[in-house]
Amino acid sequence: MMARHFQFAAVLFAATCWAQQTIAPTTEPVGATRGDNLSDYNIVDSFETGYRFSTVGGSADQYHSTVNFGDGIRLLSSFLTINSKDGHGKYFDELVLTTQGLGNDPYESATLRIQKNRLYRFDMNWRLNDYFNPGLRTGGQLGQHLLDTQYTTQDDDLTLFPQSNVKFFLGYSRGDQNGPALSTVQLFSSQGNEFPIFENVRRLRNEYRIGNEIRLFGIRFNWTRGWEDFKEDSNYSSGLNLGNNLQSPVTLTSFARTEPIHGTSPYWRGSLFGERKHFAVNGRITYTSGQRAFALNENAVGTAAIGFMAAQQILTEGNASRPVTSGNLTLSLFPTSKLTITNQTTVNNIRIDGDSVYAVFNNATETLNYLAFEFLGIRTIANETTLNYQLKRWLSFFGGYQYSDRQIRSNEASTFDGNVFASPSEQSNILHEGQFGLRLKPAKALSILLDGSIGRANGPLTPISERNYQVLGGRVQYKIKPFLLMASTRENYNVNSITLSSYASHSRTHSVNGSWNPRDWFSLDAGYTKLHLNSAGGIDFFALGQFLTGQQSIYISNLHVGTLTARFDLKKRADLFVGYSHTQDTGDGRAAAVGPGIGSSLPVFQAAQTFPVKYLSPMARLSIRITEKIRWNVGYQYYGYNELFLNGEDYRAHTGYTSMLWSF
Amino acid sequence: MAAQDPASPPQAGTAPTQAPSSTHASGFVGSNVCRTCHPDVWANFYKNPHFKSIASGKEPAERTGCESCHGPGQTHVQARGGKASIVAFSELAPEKILDNCLRCHAETVSRANIRRSEHTLNDVVCTNCHSIHKSPVPKFLLAKRQIDLCYGCHNDVRAQFSMTFKHRVNEGFMVCTDCHNPHGAPAPTWRMAARPRMTDQAVSNEEPCLKCHTEKRGPFLYEHEPVRVEGCETCHYPHGSTNSRLLRRPVVFTLCLECHNGAGSFGRHNAGILTVTPDHNLADPRYQNCTTCHVRIHGSNADALFMR
Repeated sequence: MMARHFQFAAVLFAATCWAQQTIAPTTEPVGATRGDNLSDYNIVDSFETGYRFSTVGGSADQYHSTVNFGDGIRLLSSFLTINSKDGHGKYFDELVLTTQGLGNDPYESATLRIQKNRLYRFDMNWRLNDYFNPGLRTGGQLGQHLLDTQYTTQDDDLTLFPQSNVKFFLGYSRGDQNGPALSTVQLFSSQGNEFPIFENVRRLRNEYRIGNEIRLFGIRFNWTRGWEDFKEDSNYSSGLNLGNNLQSPVTLTSFARTEPIHGTSPYWRGSLFGERKHFAVNGRITYTSGQRAFALNENAVGTAAIGFMAAQQILTEGNASRPVTSGNLTLSLFPTSKLTITNQTTVNNIRIDGDSVYAVFNNATETLNYLAFEFLGIRTIANETTLNYQLKRWLSFFGGYQYSDRQIRSNEASTFDGNVFASPSEQSNILHEGQFGLRLKPAKALSILLDGSIGRANGPLTPISERNYQVLGGRVQYKIKPFLLMASTRENYNVNSITLSSYASHSRTHSVNGSWNPRDWFSLDAGYTKLHLNSAGGIDFFALGQFLTGQQSIYISNLHVGTLTARFDLKKRADLFVGYSHTQDTGDGRAAAVGPGIGSSLPVFQAAQTFPVKYLSPMARLSIRITEKIRWNVGYQYYGYNELFLNGEDYRAHTGYTSMLWSF
Repeated sequence: MAAQDPASPPQAGTAPTQAPSSTHASGFVGSNVCRTCHPDVWANFYKNPHFKSIASGKEPAERTGCESCHGPGQTHVQARGGKASIVAFSELAPEKILDNCLRCHAETVSRANIRRSEHTLNDVVCTNCHSIHKSPVPKFLLAKRQIDLCYGCHNDVRAQFSMTFKHRVNEGFMVCTDCHNPHGAPAPTWRMAARPRMTDQAVSNEEPCLKCHTEKRGPFLYEHEPVRVEGCETCHYPHGSTNSRLLRRPVVFTLCLECHNGAGSFGRHNAGILTVTPDHNLADPRYQNCTTCHVRIHGSNADALFMR
């Protein structure tokens, strides 16, 4: 009987795991389900179908880009497993099929696993995202890079003889993105105008894989050969267009651009593994020879700055190649049962090369320019050693050291107006990083972890890259039934200062969460996290005809996130789940976007120094058992989004659903 | 389709008869003996991936069924149970749990770096995330839904995914392992090959972002160097952000200016990164949306300034 209960609970829990995720999610099982026997198989099935609704006030675009649930009938989730009871099914021993959100939810997925012991295993994963992005509109920006596309991706993997010493792999992956979008183009001269244009996004990726794994003399060798193929033929167009800058005399009469791209990335990967009592060794090497062929034809007709008609055609065609070689070799030693020493050497080499011809014909200047191109190479060699030792049953520690050496070489060789320019350059960076950690377990229920790392680099690529950094963290967990409490803290500091400019970034995270399950029918989970970030970077720029130096870009964020959920199982007849999520960035504490503050005297920088925002979401879900096989569910979730400085993107949304869950 | 009788568990997962002489000699008793006292575990074990070792009937006793993980059961039987007489995972130190599981699960690509992973170094081992006998999910024997497992410790990441713009993990479209390898990843092929330590790579050793954002993979003749050298996180927060393009700042121009300040020895020429030219009046809103003109900021085949 006990086993039967466990079976029901486990299977039902699994079924509800695929229940709708965002609106009043519950990870707890609701009601009973059945597993039925057919011949030598056991079958478990459930599906939940219902109606979603949503009402939105305020910025619908912002809602679509952050939540995006709509109205309509859905197959909210389904779950099917078929297992052979003796492991010797005729065609398969396990079949698992799950779906989520089918029937027009913005997030749809389906997974399938089917396998027969010793013979084959097949996994499929299909996903669809109805993706809407309003473009860069936060803080009152213009946006104009809106995307309203549908992205689908699928992965299929077949393994033959999965439990034998000789296995074979076949794989196929696909991704495509299609739909309307908006883009922008700047035309006619650097003093011209910027024009919003229509874009029809059409992208397609196909990847084919084949591989094999052999185990010989205790060493396992694995190789994969893959071919990735990418195509894009998005096109762009515009009719009469006054541009963003209405004061500018530069306008556009017509615009068309076609830009087909075809890329291939065939690759090889080889790996080997071996583990013995006192050591383990594994390594892998990958070679990818990425290539892209491209062509661009752009025609623009309009009015130039001086009032003359402008006609410009740009033609580009060429090939780019990027061979990448990467390798890792890891050696692990276990001289005693309490000590592990691991050393990994990494080599990564990238070379970007190719040819391109860029031609511009402008009727105003009547010039035809050709530009050919550059080289960029990146080579990184790194070695890391880690030691992990258990001193006592209650005390362990680890330490490590990493050395990395990166070299970047480039040559901007170009031909322009018949003149050849070459500007070779080289940049290198060496990093020394040490890490350490301590693990304490003073009592069975209590564990304490402390860790940190310190890094020093001598030539970071950018002012915001890590130069002098340190990370310190700690975690305490107390776990004793029915109670779990966890607290953690982590700080991440980076200082990258030089004579003329400095950049410093300080982030601190403090978090506490706990759960309490005092009864079978009641559980409570709560969590709070504070994410603090302050950064200051030196900036130079032109404004109002002046070159302003020694200015600072400051950004301060104080993000508070709290969650609270509770579940009640009401006399085995109903399951009630309630929750609340509160996300609020209090910024640097100010109430207005501009005004006397720290950093720049320019209001535009003052407004960008912080971004106070509030996003809250209460939710509830009720599930009632109608019969042993059927349940009725209803859920509701509210979303409220509010920016403190500007309210053009604010919205309020009421979303919910009602559904029937049938399981057997 | 006949419903099961709750009083009599299905006669599933019957273990093939093992050679008693060899098994008893080394203290192995066979899974059928374990079943006598642990029917609750046995009842659904035919759905467990580890049942394959029993179904095959060809594995040696130390790699078959219950005793492949829990060790020889003879002493345990003679002692009439008890955690002291058997390998009980609840009593094992973390490194012992790891060793036990890796006896069979070590030699795979995805677990090649488990000995040096952050999880292992912090005592997060197999049974912290996997429930061998009570897994509620159909794949990988996870102890909970993957998102709940990860959020259980990484509450700060849960907070990042609570922001308005984020990758769709909470919605079920993505999972953490789309980008991360909880068993440890090889050194990254971007930045300084040191951090991040748990970010998985595409098969061709690139950042996982490019598995979906393929159009940004290139190769481009004019690469925006930070993208290729330092990775996408130079400008983006992949978990969540206040910016619709997951930028590290709410507005784009401050992000650009923090690198393009012309100062120091940064950049590939060791002479500072290009600052904006005099015709960029930052007081004018027209110049505050850098990507309005520099549309192809991830890389371009036609223009060194990423205008098309």
